[in-house]
Amino acid sequence: MLARLIAPLLLAGLSLIGDASAQEPASTNRATELKERPAADSRTLASLAADSAVKVVARQGAWTQVEAGSQRGWVRAFHLRFQSTVESSSSGGSGSITSIFGFGSKEAPRTSKVATLGIRGLTPEDFKNASPDPAALKKMQSYRADRAGAERFAREARLAPVAVAYVGSGS
Amino acid sequence: MRALLAALALLAAVPAHAQLDIGRIIDLGRKAVEIAPKIQEATKEYTVEEEVALGDGIASGFLGAIRLHPDERLQRYVNRVGRWLASQTERADLPWTFGVIDTEVINAFAMPGGTVVVSHGLVKRLTSEAELAGVLAHEIAHVLKKHQLSAIQSDAGWSAAADGAKAVAADQIGRRGGGDVLGLKTKLANAGVDLVKDGLFLRPLDRSMEYEADRLGVVVAARGGYDPYGFVAVLTMLAQVKPEESGASITFSTHPSPADRLAELEKVMPQLEKFAQQPQVEQRFRQNLGAK
Repeated sequence: MLARLIAPLLLAGLSLIGDASAQEPASTNRATELKERPAADSRTLASLAADSAVKVVARQGAWTQVEAGSQRGWVRAFHLRFQSTVESSSSGGSGSITSIFGFGSKEAPRTSKVATLGIRGLTPEDFKNASPDPAALKKMQSYRADRAGAERFAREARLAPVAVAYVGSGS
Repeated sequence: MRALLAALALLAAVPAHAQLDIGRIIDLGRKAVEIAPKIQEATKEYTVEEEVALGDGIASGFLGAIRLHPDERLQRYVNRVGRWLASQTERADLPWTFGVIDTEVINAFAMPGGTVVVSHGLVKRLTSEAELAGVLAHEIAHVLKKHQLSAIQSDAGWSAAADGAKAVAADQIGRRGGGDVLGLKTKLANAGVDLVKDGLFLRPLDRSMEYEADRLGVVVAARGGYDPYGFVAVLTMLAQVKPEESGASITFSTHPSPADRLAELEKVMPQLEKFAQQPQVEQRFRQNLGAK
């Protein structure tokens, strides 16, 4: 009886763990604090050194919930670094395995310089050889929303317009 | 080269009194933009109508290369999110059009005049409407700042094609008292198609333009009532994508690295942190994305 009750719970737990996006490996990109709640004035559970390995559990606004060792708490989203794409895309294979978790190389990833592999579906030739498709354009334009319809749609999700000024470059 | 030829063909159609020195144009090659004050003047400002006509041509050429995704519910959904966001901007009155293209490549494109296209491969990797809003708002920002138009005008060959079409059309309008709107549209649209063939979507915009669109985009998303950190989550996701697995190469070859973009955004996000509690709208996003 007990087993029958527990089994679904276990399954639910397993599916949560099985969700790759819920357990992404990351590391801290600077020394930072592990907070109890996603707020700056929340209690600090631990101080994490730079390059601490963590696992991402969830995101909420400016904060990311992580597991750090045996503890679970929140760190600022910008204080995390994720698996780099550089090593996997460079053909030389000289990239070090350690950098998968953000350790090792301190060089800024230069993905743009190496990412010439594996183009699928969008090649320069596709563009060069394309004939214009005015029928497809017309179809795309037939899906347009009008302003009033978009406002109704926003209200349905309780979205309200907010006055926000543009921000400068910050430097 | 194709663009230059197109420009020359268009110039040949100009009445004698307005014709330019063709020999000199050929000599100058892709520097054709410098050819004559008349054209130079015409390049400076595009009317909204001209911008939209050029954008339609670009979109038509683009859709000749990549199909629209067949999911009409998704197309309409993306249009509503996009139109709502665009309504919060200084160019709310453009004929905003949003499209999902049927490719697993991860990318999104903005075209002059208010056309924004996002790949199905990108949409399906998102987890909320706030993330979709972040992507669309970034592209909307490119349109607000006319970044694509600037890129066209700063390339000699491209601008020869586009501005040549504009000058010809302007001349015709002048002679017919403003009647030849269709002629203008056709010529600019043809020029737009040539730009696509000539690699318009393969050349990166200035890094500074991408950073600016990131900064403006998060504000536009916040204005629409969304959590602006949705876009931070998107960049974080992009930082983990392996190009050879996703076919994301064009994204990565035409944008600064996600890590660099996150570092730039971090400078301004503190000003938007008070909007981080705004909704992410996950449920409606999942419903409209259909079977995953």
